[in-house]
Amino acid sequence: PLLTMQLMPPGYTFFINSHTSFGKFISEIKPQYLSPVALYRSKRMVLDSVGVGLIGSTTDVFELALQHCQHMHAPDPISSVYGRRGIRLSPTLAAFVNGVATHSMDFDDTWHPATHPSGAVLPAVLALSDMMPANSKPSGLDFLLAFNVGIEIQGRLMRFSNEAHNIPKRFHPPTVVGPMGSAAACARLLSLDPSQCSHALAIAASLAGAPMANAATQCKPLHIGNASRLGLEAALLASRGLEASPLVLDAVAGVAGFNAFYEDYVPQPLKSPSDNDNGHVFLLEEQDMGFKRFPAHLGMHWVADAAASVHKVLVGVDPGKVSPDQVQDILLRVPLSKYINRPFPESEHEARHSFQFNACSALLDGEVAVQSFSPAAMSRPELHALLSRVRLEHPQDNPANFNRMYGEVQVTLVGGDILKGRCDTFYGHWRNPLTNESLRKKFRNNAGVVLPSEKVERLIEAVEELDRLDDCGALLSQLE
Amino acid sequence: MLRKGITESFGAAIHALNATHLTDGVIHRSKRMMLDTLGVGLLGSRTAVFNKALMYSQMFVSEQRSSVWGRSEITLPPHYAAFVNGIAVHSMDFDDTWHPATHPSGAVLPALLALAETLASRPSGLDLLLAFNVGLEVQGRLMRFSREAYNIPERFHPPSVVGVMGSAAASAKLLGLSPAQCSHALAIAVSSAGAPLANAATQTKPLHIGNAARRGLEAAQLAQIGLEGNPAILDVANGLGVYYGDYNPSPMADSGAFRWILEDQNVAVKRIPAHLAMHWVVDAALAARAKLRDTVGTFDLSQIRQVTLRVPPSKYINCPLPASEHQARHSFQFNACSALLDGQVTVASFDRAQINRPALRELLSKVEVETPEDNPPSFDKMYCEVEIGSAEGRSAAARCDTFYGHWRKPLSQRDLVEKFSVNASSVLCPEGVEGLIDVVGNMEKVSECSVLGSFLRMTSNREQLYRTRIM
Repeated sequence: PLLTMQLMPPGYTFFINSHTSFGKFISEIKPQYLSPVALYRSKRMVLDSVGVGLIGSTTDVFELALQHCQHMHAPDPISSVYGRRGIRLSPTLAAFVNGVATHSMDFDDTWHPATHPSGAVLPAVLALSDMMPANSKPSGLDFLLAFNVGIEIQGRLMRFSNEAHNIPKRFHPPTVVGPMGSAAACARLLSLDPSQCSHALAIAASLAGAPMANAATQCKPLHIGNASRLGLEAALLASRGLEASPLVLDAVAGVAGFNAFYEDYVPQPLKSPSDNDNGHVFLLEEQDMGFKRFPAHLGMHWVADAAASVHKVLVGVDPGKVSPDQVQDILLRVPLSKYINRPFPESEHEARHSFQFNACSALLDGEVAVQSFSPAAMSRPELHALLSRVRLEHPQDNPANFNRMYGEVQVTLVGGDILKGRCDTFYGHWRNPLTNESLRKKFRNNAGVVLPSEKVERLIEAVEELDRLDDCGALLSQLE
Repeated sequence: MLRKGITESFGAAIHALNATHLTDGVIHRSKRMMLDTLGVGLLGSRTAVFNKALMYSQMFVSEQRSSVWGRSEITLPPHYAAFVNGIAVHSMDFDDTWHPATHPSGAVLPALLALAETLASRPSGLDLLLAFNVGLEVQGRLMRFSREAYNIPERFHPPSVVGVMGSAAASAKLLGLSPAQCSHALAIAVSSAGAPLANAATQTKPLHIGNAARRGLEAAQLAQIGLEGNPAILDVANGLGVYYGDYNPSPMADSGAFRWILEDQNVAVKRIPAHLAMHWVVDAALAARAKLRDTVGTFDLSQIRQVTLRVPPSKYINCPLPASEHQARHSFQFNACSALLDGQVTVASFDRAQINRPALRELLSKVEVETPEDNPPSFDKMYCEVEIGSAEGRSAAARCDTFYGHWRKPLSQRDLVEKFSVNASSVLCPEGVEGLIDVVGNMEKVSECSVLGSFLRMTSNREQLYRTRIM
C-alpha cells in the first residue's frame, strides 16, 4: 500500500513501501543467492564490458573526458583508468572516464527492456574496489554480487513501465536506470544499511535523466560515464548520512518521483531474500544479455546480418567485390525510430545510429566491424553511392522493440533481379547468444589493441575465476 | 515542432551580449540578487547538508582551488566549490525565486565565483555582472518555452532543469567561448538536467542547486575542450523538451531589439527560510492574529478552536505534520501555526526543538486546509487566507495577495541589506560583511571580482575558534 509523506509521524525511521523495499533488498542480498546461471552470465558481461572499455580508451571522446578530469583535478593515486597505465584518478572520476570508454563506440551490452546495463555499473564497482584498502578488498564473489545487484535493480525498474519495453523516444534509458543501478551496486559494495541504501537510490534519482536528442552525438558516451559516476557519488553521499525522499520509486500523485521519467509507471516492491523462503531469482537468469559483434546501436545488427546474407549471394554469383553499379535500389524494412534513421551520417556517432549506413557497409564488405566507422571507410565513394539508393519502410508488424523486431534488406539489381535477406535474431542477441569462444575472440580483439597478449589472457582467466577469488585485487591489477 | 536555429541563436546571443547591453535597471536588480545570494549562502554554510557535501567534496584533489563560502581554511576544486556553495545557497530554502518559478541565482553565482577565481584573465566585476545576467536570462527564456513552467511544479524541480542551463550559459560567457561552443555547452548541460520533485522537502533538495551550478560549469568546460552535443538541443522535441509536457521554443535575439527579462520581471526575495508559498500564509496568519488580538484584547492560543487555510493546490507543500526541518519549510500548516504561536517566523523557527514543540503540534492538529477554485498554483496569481475560529465562536480572517518581498512589493534596499547583514554576520567578521556590501554595491567598478572570495572567507574569531575546536 502507498504511504504518503504527510502520514509519516516524527520518529519513524523506516517504512516498507516500494522504494524502501529496494533499499532493504540491496542491503540484505547475499552471494549465496547468485545461481550458477547468474554467475555465468554476469561474468561474461564483466569480460565483454572490460574489453569494450579497453578499446574505448582509444577514442577521441575518451581522451576528451580524461583530459577534462586531469585539467580540473589533480592525479589521485586511487582508481585506475582503462588502457592508461600510470594514470589514476579519484574514484568518481575514474568511474566517469571508464564509463565513457565503455559506451564510446556503442559496443557495449544491451538488455531487454532496453538499456546498456554493464557500463553504468562496472566502472563504478571497479573504482570503488580500488578505493578500498589493500588488505580489505572485496572478494571476487562480493564484487560479482555488487555487480549483479546493479544489473538487477536496473531490470526491476524498467519493468515498472510499458514505455521502457520499446526503443526509447524521450529519455535515454542508461541515464534513467543506470545511475540507480550504479548507486545500488556501490551501496551493496559499501555494505550500507537498508536506510542508507534507500537514500542512495533516492539521491541517484535526482541525478538521473538525459534526453534522447544527445544520442548519436559525441555526448552520448557521457551518459554512461555519468550514470556510473553519479551512482557512486550517490552511494558515497548516503554513506555520509545524506538523506532524501523514501518515496522516490513510489508514485505519489502531484509530486513526481522516478515516475517523472515515464508516461506509464506502476512500481512493485522488491522482496528481500530474508523475507522470502524461496530465496531470490535474478532477472538475468530469466532474461539473458545481448552482446554486440560490432560497435553500433543494437538495431543495426539486424540489418547488418540481413545485408550480409545478400552480400554472400552477390559475391557467390559474381566473385570479387560488390560494386554499386550492380545495385539499383536498396529497400530496408525496419522499425520506426527516428534517431536510428539517418540516410547520410556525417560523424562516426551518427553512423553507429544509421540503419542505412550499416546495411550498406555490410552489403559492401560482408560484415560491419570496428574499422567500418573509420574516417576512411566512412568516406568511400562506393558507400555513398549505395547510400543514395536506400529507401526505408516501416511495416506495421515490425515494432520498435528489441525483443520483437526484425530487419529485412531487399536489393534490386540493375538487371531486375531481387535479392532478399531477413534477420529475425542476429548472432549475439539473447535468443542466439555468442558462444564463449566468440565472446573471447571479441575480447581479445578489443583488449589486444591496448594490452599485451599475456595481460589479455590473464584478464580472461581472472574474470573466469572471479567468483572463486578471495581478493578482487587480482582482477584490478590486471586492468592496468 | 522543429524550427531551425534556436539553439544556434542562444549560442550566438551568449557570445555576443556585452557590458554595453547592461542597463541601470538590470544592474541594480542583479546586484541585489548577488548580495542576497551571498548572504543566504553564508548562513547556509552552517547547515548539516552543507557539511556532508563538504566532507564528500574534500575527497577530490586539484591544483586549482576555489573558495568555500564561510570557511577561511578550506578550498576545493572549482567544480566542488560550485557544488557546496550552491548547496549552501539553497540549504534553507532562503534564496531568491522568479516567475516563472525557479531559484535563478543559486544555480549561477556559485559557479561563476568558483570559475572566476581560477581564470588567469582575472575577470572584473562588470564581467561577473554580465555573465551572471546571461545566466539568469537564459533561464528566463527557457522557462517561457512552456506553459507548464508558469505554475508551481509537479514533475521536475525547475532549478534542476533550467538552473544547469543558466550555469552553463554564464560559465560559457565568462570563459569567452565561441558561439558554437556556447551552443554545445547548452547541449551538454541538457544531459545533466532534470531532477524529480520527490526530493523537494528533503535534505537532498539543496543538491539540486549545487549540482546545477557544478554541472553547468562542467558543461561549459567540456565544450571549451571540444566536446559536442546535439546542435539543435533546444529545437527538437526530444531535447530540453523532454522535461515539459508542452514545449514551444523560440529564438533569442542577440542585439537590436534585445531586452533583459529581469528588466520587466523582478525576483522575489525571501524573508523566511521556507518555500515561497509560505510567505503568503505567514503574512495572512500574522494579520489574522493581529485582528483577533485587537478584537479580544489579548491573543490566547488556548482559545483557538480551528485554523482554516485557503491555499493553492500543491501536494509537496501540504504537510500537516512535518517531521524534519525540510518538511517544515514546505508546509503551509507549519508556517501558519509558527506565525500564530510566535508572532513571527524566522530562521530559528525551523530548529528541531521548535518543530517538536507540544504547543505547536497541538495547534497543528487544529488546522484544516482548503484549496479554493480561484486560487491557482502560480506564484504570480496565488493568495493565502487564514481564518482563526475561537472557542467562543469569534473568528478573524485575513488574506494576503502579495507578501512583502514578492516582485510586486520588493524589499526596500535597507531591508535587503539588513537581511544580508544578519545572515553574513552569523559567519563572517564585520570586515567581511561590510566588505561584501561594499564590493557588491560597486560591482560594476570593481577591477577583480575574485576579491569577493577573500571577503567570503573572513570568518569571525568566534567562528575560527569554533572550527579549531572541532577539528
